[in-house]
Amino acid sequence: MSRPPQSADDEKDHERCRRFAEATLPHLGALYRLAVKLTGSGTTAEDLVQETYLKALEAFPSLRDPGRVKAWLFQILSRLVIDRHRSEAREVATGTDDLDRFSLYDLIWQEDPLPYSDRLHDDFLDQFRDEEIRAALMALPEAYRVPLVLVYVEGTTYKELAEILGCPIGTVMSRLHRGRKTLERQLWECARKRGLVKT
Amino acid sequence: MNGSKPLSCEEAARRFFAHLDRALAGDDLQALEAHLEACLHCCDRLAFSRKLDRFVKERLGDSALPDGIEDRIRRLIVTL
Repeated sequence: MSRPPQSADDEKDHERCRRFAEATLPHLGALYRLAVKLTGSGTTAEDLVQETYLKALEAFPSLRDPGRVKAWLFQILSRLVIDRHRSEAREVATGTDDLDRFSLYDLIWQEDPLPYSDRLHDDFLDQFRDEEIRAALMALPEAYRVPLVLVYVEGTTYKELAEILGCPIGTVMSRLHRGRKTLERQLWECARKRGLVKT
Repeated sequence: MNGSKPLSCEEAARRFFAHLDRALAGDDLQALEAHLEACLHCCDRLAFSRKLDRFVKERLGDSALPDGIEDRIRRLIVTL
């Protein structure tokens, strides 16, 4: 229970906190679910959500459009994820050309790991366990994972992503392209490790 | 039909994901559609990319909110 306001300043702060809680707490569930998908861990996700609320409360007076609270919270959380790992500068080692030429569809077709299947590509995907898909996603650099998860979970537009990531739309497109290609490669690698494919 | 040069399969594939995300418009979209009309292989590859997107999205699952998280956030807000 909060302490009752003692002065005019206290009263103002109390009112700001009340308005902040009223505007942001209805989005707590969505924010937490996004955080789990971005971090792969419930505990890290809760820490991240708390940090997001702290940042958001600080920036609350500058929020111009209360109708965009959810997008604004997602933006703060996504930036925290990216900033947290910026120093690690995790980038994909392979050059653009190699990655661009990689096609999971073609590899499945060429290797034909399930010769008796009449729905080869579907059956290939069905062999993956949920945790393998999540691990493949978590292995992506944050710069690729954040926009990809936002597109998958929220259907965020490229324009909104450009705002969230603080980069031009062309960069958003390139990150989503490279992110998906890297994910395809991770899945192939996972299949190779499990002996589902040979090459 | 636009008057621009037809896309190669490689150029078409570079537009697949933007197309799936409904971010392709104008000449870029027309050029991709023209290529897809003529290239069955790229149609199949695009269909697979769409399937893979849906597959990953479904497998991400959803997590229940941890007990007491809302109270902890409320306390955090009022103690600042």
